Amino acid sequence: MASIAASASISLQARPRQLAIAASQVKSFSNGRRSSLSFNLRQLPTRLTVSCAAKPETVDKVCAVVRKQLSLKEADEITAATKFAALGADSLDTVEIVMGLEEEFGIEMAEEKAQSIATVEQAAALIEELLFEKAK
Amino acid sequence: MGASKLSGMQKQVLSLYRGFLRAARSRPIEDRKRIEMIVSTEFRHNSKEVDRKNFQYIEYLLRLGTKQLDQLKSPAIVSLSSIKVVTSKT
Repeated sequence: MASIAASASISLQARPRQLAIAASQVKSFSNGRRSSLSFNLRQLPTRLTVSCAAKPETVDKVCAVVRKQLSLKEADEITAATKFAALGADSLDTVEIVMGLEEEFGIEMAEEKAQSIATVEQAAALIEELLFEKAK
Repeated sequence: MGASKLSGMQKQVLSLYRGFLRAARSRPIEDRKRIEMIVSTEFRHNSKEVDRKNFQYIEYLLRLGTKQLDQLKSPAIVSLSSIKVVTSKT
């Protein structure tokens, strides 16, 4: 009887601590700003075949600019992992895509970084980084 | 493009192309479209026709293009005849 009550109270006490630890972990992850990591289970757009740090809205916008720049048909599949080269883009096309993205998002990409972009995902990640810097 | 490393000369060409597109952006829309069309055609023509190992000629084209870009950036220059000259040459 007494031992049962004691173990019950111990387990009750343990819970608040676990919750506190979890809360502090979440805080440290988010680091005071909106985290790109989502702890909620969320239905990702079915077009995204890989997980990536950039927001789906950013990826979708990037896809739209790429589609327009390369004059792709609606049927052509573009995902976050799609390489510009796989869509038939040469290096001049890629420059145009990057310029189009700069205009769409109102940012300027440093030349070295811009030249290293080869996929939608990479473009979206850099864009969000630049938008964050701009918002400071 | 992503996996393969761009050569220094390739980077210069892309940088120049980028410079032209940026310069075009500050122009009124009609001028801008014309500039973009001329520049795009010229770069694509050269990428097709110029031997990648003809470094001397490529360097010449880069210098020529840089001069033209400087002219394009100058607000005093209204006409695009300097660009057309190169187009007609090639």
